[in-house]
Amino acid sequence: MRDIQIPKDWNRKGLPGWSYHSPALLELEIEEVFKSHWQIVCHVSDVPEAGSFYTFDMCGERAIVVRDQNNEIGVFHNICRHRGSRVVAQENGRCKGALVCPFHGWVYNLDGTLRGAARPDSFPQLDKHEFGLRPIEYEIWNGLIFIRFKKGPQPSVNELLQPFAEEIAPYNFENRVPVSEMWSQSIPVNWKSVRDVDNEGYHVAMAHPALQDLYGNNYMDEPYVDGVSRSYAEFNNSGGKRWAVRNYTKLSKPNDGLPEHLHRAWIYYGLFPNAVLAVTPETVLFYQEFPTSTGQSLLRGNTYRYKTEDRQQRAARYLASRIDRETVEEDIQLTIWSNESMASKSFEGFYLSDLEYGVRTHHDHLRKILPIYNVEMQPDESEITELNASLAGKS
Amino acid sequence: MCFRGPTTTEEFHYQRTLLLSAIGGKGSGYERYSAAMYFHKGGIVSPELLEIYRRCCKLDNEDPIKLAIHEGIEVFQESDLKELEQEKS
Repeated sequence: MRDIQIPKDWNRKGLPGWSYHSPALLELEIEEVFKSHWQIVCHVSDVPEAGSFYTFDMCGERAIVVRDQNNEIGVFHNICRHRGSRVVAQENGRCKGALVCPFHGWVYNLDGTLRGAARPDSFPQLDKHEFGLRPIEYEIWNGLIFIRFKKGPQPSVNELLQPFAEEIAPYNFENRVPVSEMWSQSIPVNWKSVRDVDNEGYHVAMAHPALQDLYGNNYMDEPYVDGVSRSYAEFNNSGGKRWAVRNYTKLSKPNDGLPEHLHRAWIYYGLFPNAVLAVTPETVLFYQEFPTSTGQSLLRGNTYRYKTEDRQQRAARYLASRIDRETVEEDIQLTIWSNESMASKSFEGFYLSDLEYGVRTHHDHLRKILPIYNVEMQPDESEITELNASLAGKS
Repeated sequence: MCFRGPTTTEEFHYQRTLLLSAIGGKGSGYERYSAAMYFHKGGIVSPELLEIYRRCCKLDNEDPIKLAIHEGIEVFQESDLKELEQEKS
């Protein structure tokens, strides 16, 4: 049973400011937070036929999802076994029959095994498995393809999301199709500032006029418990004041099979450390953020619709995406303001509202993995790795 | 001739289609080369001819067979493919 109660007396502080701009800490985060936790690459409908592929770059690692001729999905390091080049340079597409490294021309079958090296006479006999693309651990959960570059502390995605399995099932994730290409955007903030904004709804009334108009009075956040948070909102059928909201609430039309109590729900599931799944009556979507440096993050995500939808549903989906687009732009500004506070020596750190308890629980999840976050004063950069190991009892 | 490559007749036909795909199609240079590697394993594309296909990877408009003939490299015949096909079935 998830305990989502907010304790009466909780520590309202955030993470120390130095942790938002420390290169040595970022290295630890990359290894222990990003590479060793589940990451969403795409949906099975993004690789619809034999030879379809989707690539995914994160924190110096490169993955490729590819569907083979038996319709099976495989996930591999997008690294040629010869010299380490990208085997596939495009973000997505279709290779008929094989993957060919664009550097020297090694050829891989769609199941990752080596078909042959270029100039085969210049090599000894190469075993097709030994020199095949190296596989990456993956899990397909309700049509979404999750990968993990390193073993980590999380259970399977299925187990992680089990508390919400019943609620999520009627959304029929696995039979969705992408609305468009994956979107991505680079923003000038530390990745944690993105999460700090996204993990609370306290700012909605102030910062997001459209969301407030849509569901501001019927919104609640549940904290992160065992790696997953949940935010639930219900829009009002009486219509909003803003054009997009008013028309969305008028046109929103769930598919058959969605139970009535979800007909007006927008639900967000936060997946520690850096992703969100969201559902509305029309769509399911995900978004995530990765660090590209201490002060730069890449946002990425996609939206999936029902395979068949009528004009009304299409119009509602368009209006929902307008509301979302507006919200994302507003949130990016908030992340910039939140992040720049961390560079100020005069800022004494967060003092969080009960409505921001989700921020604290996300930080607590981070502290559990990297106890160095508990150190208030900035350690010397050269000592961070060792100090963290010592605090974790690993040295 | 000993066919050591993969395996199903269906795959054989698919790779044959790629090997003989129309010159000029987008990405066709890579497709021909990857199929040539398949038939190299089967013994009908020589190392020299495979290298011609590799050179033509990024040149969708270049016909590797014509280039091979121009450079005096022996090319496979339709009968070689038929012979392999019979071997497969």
